[in-house]
Order: sequence, then structure tokens, then C-alpha cells
Amino acid sequence: MEEWRFIDFGVVDIRDMMAMDEAILKGDEGNTFFFWTPKKSIILGFFQKAEVELDLPKCKDYTITRRISGGGIAFSDDRCRQINYGVVGTIDNDMFPLDIIESYKQVCGVLIDMLVHYGLNAAFRPINDVTVDSKKISGNAQTRWEGKLLQNGTLLLDFDIEEMLRISNIPKEKFLDKKIASIREGLTWLDRELGEQLDMEEVKNVMKDKFEERFHVKLKTGTLSNKEKELTKSLLPKYYSTEWVYR
Amino acid sequence: MEILKTKPGIHKSRGGLIRSFVNTENGRIKDITISGDFFLFPEEAIFIMLENLKGTSANREEILKNIEHTYEKENIQSPGTAPSDFAESIMKALEAQ
Repeated sequence: MEEWRFIDFGVVDIRDMMAMDEAILKGDEGNTFFFWTPKKSIILGFFQKAEVELDLPKCKDYTITRRISGGGIAFSDDRCRQINYGVVGTIDNDMFPLDIIESYKQVCGVLIDMLVHYGLNAAFRPINDVTVDSKKISGNAQTRWEGKLLQNGTLLLDFDIEEMLRISNIPKEKFLDKKIASIREGLTWLDRELGEQLDMEEVKNVMKDKFEERFHVKLKTGTLSNKEKELTKSLLPKYYSTEWVYR
Repeated sequence: MEILKTKPGIHKSRGGLIRSFVNTENGRIKDITISGDFFLFPEEAIFIMLENLKGTSANREEILKNIEHTYEKENIQSPGTAPSDFAESIMKALEAQ
């Protein structure tokens, strides 16, 4: 059986993680599945302006950076009960379809299989969400580079929704077509759905199993290559810079 | 451009929220910026799209034509968001002025 690399970066500074994320996409170590848990932070989507999307004076104790893919803010509170994942894969129309929505569906399938394993009514909601009983539990973002895709996503185990609302400028238009009255009704998280706090490592292991089943591969734990480490080092200044984050 | 002093045009496409901020001069777009949680590939093409819109007549037909031209030239794909969605957001910003 084909082996793909697996890395668990643990709890990380999001600026370091976004540099490693880009380095894995632009390196040449092949298909990779990885996890991380962000410290208290906000990641802006490529097309988002910090001053528009955020109430910046209220964000002073957050680390803020920007990622290379589109989509919305990824907000992480200091509870650190979030599993973030990344997949880098060669687009081949089998494992990773060329069609953008189909490829989201394929990777999001790992999350859905995991949630179904826990008895939840999980589904893919195009373009890029995974829902439980029509409530968003996971947001995902994809970019592509030289025949490869990078998909990042988050699974909420616990979430401080009031804190997110406090710091962001979300207009009412955001929810117009989702048939829900507010963000409070439209989001959920695993602890709430299950009524208990699962061990994060256990959830990650189930995700790994579901990933292996879906892609018919064996995940082999590895590390960044020297080339990826060099690339990360060269990318770090961008993710720490005002020009990139507040452009 | 002082974004926070400019009224946004907000439009929700299936692919995300588009907030446009526009300044005009003599009926043409002088300055324009967009913030949103949509997806667009290749991402950098957004800067070309915005640059191309500068100097365009501030009417829907011209704006849409201009965006469609950039889509074609830069091979833009934006799942759930069409050139007409950007045009709608920009028109709302123009109407808010």
C-alpha cells in the first residue's frame, strides 16, 4: 500500500504554521496529511482586509496573520480545542479531483466519515463547509500551486462564539442565504454535539484512520525535510510582516 | 484609500461575502478595494482585476464587461462567485456613495 507522510505539529504559533503550510505545498516531499492546534489567533483569508473584517482594537491580544488561500477568518480562542488539518496532494482526478468543489468534497469526506463514526448527522455543504444537522462544524480553504492542492480546515471541539462575535465585524448579509437567523444558530462544535469532551488525540486518531480508508494509503509519521525547513525560514518574514497581514 | 470612511457595497454570493469600497471621479472608478471570504484562483489575479477596474465608467455594464475580460485573460475560477457578483457588490458601493 502506498505510504503518505503524516506530521502532527502540536500547539503552534500560527505565523510559523502558515510558513510551514506554504513550504509543504511548495516543497517536493509528496502527498502529506498534517495536524496542528493554533494558539490564540486569527487567520485572515487571502482576500480579507483586517480593518474591514475585525474590530482591531479588540484584537490586541491575538496573533493575526494571513493565509495564501481564500475563505473566511479562522478564529482560535485560548481554549485550544480545535483540530486544524492540512492536506497537500497532487491533483490527479482520482484522489484529488481537478474540479474545485469535487476536491473539497473528497477531502471534507474525511471529516464527515469521522463525525459519522461518532454517530453524528454530518454532511458536505458546498463550497467548503462540513455541517452537523445543517450547522457548520468545520470550515475549509483550498489553494492550488503547480498541479498540487493545499487544503486547510478546522474541526471545532469547543468554541467561544461570543468572543468571536465580539472581535469581528460580521454584517447581516453573511447569513441571508443560509436560512438561519444568526451565526449563533449556524455554528456548532463537537463537545456540544456529543455532550461530552472527547480526548483530542482520540479524535485525531479517528481522523487519521478515516483518511487512510478514504485515500487507500498508509500514513507514515515524518518530519519536514531540510528543503522544507529552508523554505519555511525564507517564508517566515512574510507571515510576521505588517505588509502581508494588514495590506 | 480610507476604507473605514467609505461606505461598503455588500453582496453575498454562493461562494462568499464580497465587500467593495469604491471612490469615483467624473463618473469613473478612481479607487477600488475588495474584502471578502470568497475563493478565487489564482489568488493574485484579484489585484489585476482591481487595477483593471480603475478608470472604468461607473455603470454596471462597463464594470461587468471589464471583470469578465479579466476573468478570461487570467483564467480565473471562483467557485460560487461569478463576475456578476463582483459587479453587484461594486454597484451597491456606488449606490451607497
